[in-house]
Amino acid sequence: MMEDKTRVFTFAGRVLKNLFQKPATVQYPFQPAEYPERMRGHVEIKIEDCICCGLCVRSCPSQAISVDRKAGTWTIGRFDCVQCGSCVLACPKKCLTMEKGYTEPDIAKKSETFTKPKEEEKPEAASGGIPVLDAEKCVYCTLCAKKCPQEAIRVDRKEKTWALDEEKCVQCGICASACPKHALSMQSI
Amino acid sequence: MAKRSIVPFGPQHPVLPEPVHLDLILEDETVVGAVPSIGFIHRGLEKLVEKRDFKQYVYIAERVCGICSCGHGLGYCEAVEQVMGIEVPDRARYLRTIWVEMSRVHSHLLWLGLLADAMGFESLYMESWRLREKILDMFDETTGGRIIHSVNCVGGVQKDMDSTMLQHILQAIDDIRGEMKPVVETFMQDYTVQSRLKGSGILTKEDATALGAAGPVLRASGISYDARRLGYAAYGDLTMEPITAAEGDSYARCKVRLKELFQSFDLIREAIGKIPDGPISVPVKGNPSGEFFMRIEQPRGEAIYYVKGSGTKYLDRFRMRTPTTSNIPALVEMLKGCQLADVPLLILTIDPCVSCTER
Repeated sequence: MMEDKTRVFTFAGRVLKNLFQKPATVQYPFQPAEYPERMRGHVEIKIEDCICCGLCVRSCPSQAISVDRKAGTWTIGRFDCVQCGSCVLACPKKCLTMEKGYTEPDIAKKSETFTKPKEEEKPEAASGGIPVLDAEKCVYCTLCAKKCPQEAIRVDRKEKTWALDEEKCVQCGICASACPKHALSMQSI
Repeated sequence: MAKRSIVPFGPQHPVLPEPVHLDLILEDETVVGAVPSIGFIHRGLEKLVEKRDFKQYVYIAERVCGICSCGHGLGYCEAVEQVMGIEVPDRARYLRTIWVEMSRVHSHLLWLGLLADAMGFESLYMESWRLREKILDMFDETTGGRIIHSVNCVGGVQKDMDSTMLQHILQAIDDIRGEMKPVVETFMQDYTVQSRLKGSGILTKEDATALGAAGPVLRASGISYDARRLGYAAYGDLTMEPITAAEGDSYARCKVRLKELFQSFDLIREAIGKIPDGPISVPVKGNPSGEFFMRIEQPRGEAIYYVKGSGTKYLDRFRMRTPTTSNIPALVEMLKGCQLADVPLLILTIDPCVSCTER
């Protein structure tokens, strides 16, 4: 790197170049912005897959999300959300995604509510209710415990015991769908 | 006998990028003393560690400041990992290093722009920031965010970079390196710039040590200390020597930062060349119990992160000491004897970040 020598008009060349170059900036919004693939712009939800487990609510550092299990609604405060992507990582059903494009500005803080469509029939091994073990089928492979997003299941291979912490369980049904022996079924309390 | 007066400077001032307040004691136009005060943007983010679980807090730690965001996330995660005894996969260590070095490039380019702006050199300021955009675009492509990256997590990183992305980063740093030539020439050789920087705000080697200066301010006073040599992330595998200058004036601080930019380019290139394949994170089970002091080199200097956990998912204490905190006493010393018109420029040469200082 050059040092110490004193010169004058060192930047004149660049300044002259700038006079005849296109602007470095994009004339947004007249020219649309191009967003990269990974851009964390805003959170989107596939509400039909949502099981209202509330893990996103607990993982959100800015407390922007609220879930009403009874009403089947998922609400996000667009102005509280800090686009960190924590909820997307926490979602056991992968129904949350970070999408490109920022939310629009507004004159007041607004939130958006999504309501789950009413289901007529519940498919088998779907969420809702807590997992119940059929001890005869269980091989104590611990897959359910490994997959549980809440670490609510404890399996002891030696002692052949399976235990559920009902307080931790968010009734997502991931354990039931992970079980290779179909030993778990989701049953309402 | 010179007339003695006190001029309040800041926290809101057109030349200040950050809200720091100084009571300048003047004799005519010469500064003979300065009394700093902070506390204008305290947000209580350290206290929040008691209300958010330790995995969530990464997002808060990196929102302490917009410019050092990647480093804050890294410092916090490494501290928690040390407490929990987690071994981070090699690829994650390299990815962290690449992102942190990229953030050093963008921080130094931002600082160069602000310095030029404080001198009234508008076109140089815009050129520095134009180059910085290339790095921000790379952040956008690889992490999904230009300023707040949210890639660090306890146990590794959240996102991987494929070979195309790594090639794009190499291309971007090559472009910046090429286009930096007139910028470096202007900062180092231009008569106008030299007349503002040379010989102003001298911090001697003894004062820098005694007042606990950090980062480029310390190294510009001739002390060879860089926390990256501690070997956190992947720095242990990379070759680097601290960059120093002997003069201790504003010009030396500018020179050190310019050279560090090129050092970062080399480090990024070396890390991309050496990056191994493999997983990018390990699962984290259990809660942290114990305490740890983590030291990392932020673009502005050495930052310290202290975490203390007692086996629950909420940490008991999180404390961070940022480089600006340690550089403010050095700034007060630098200001003594300078002209009032030089004060904004001297404040800038420590690269103040009051958001970090007050948290």
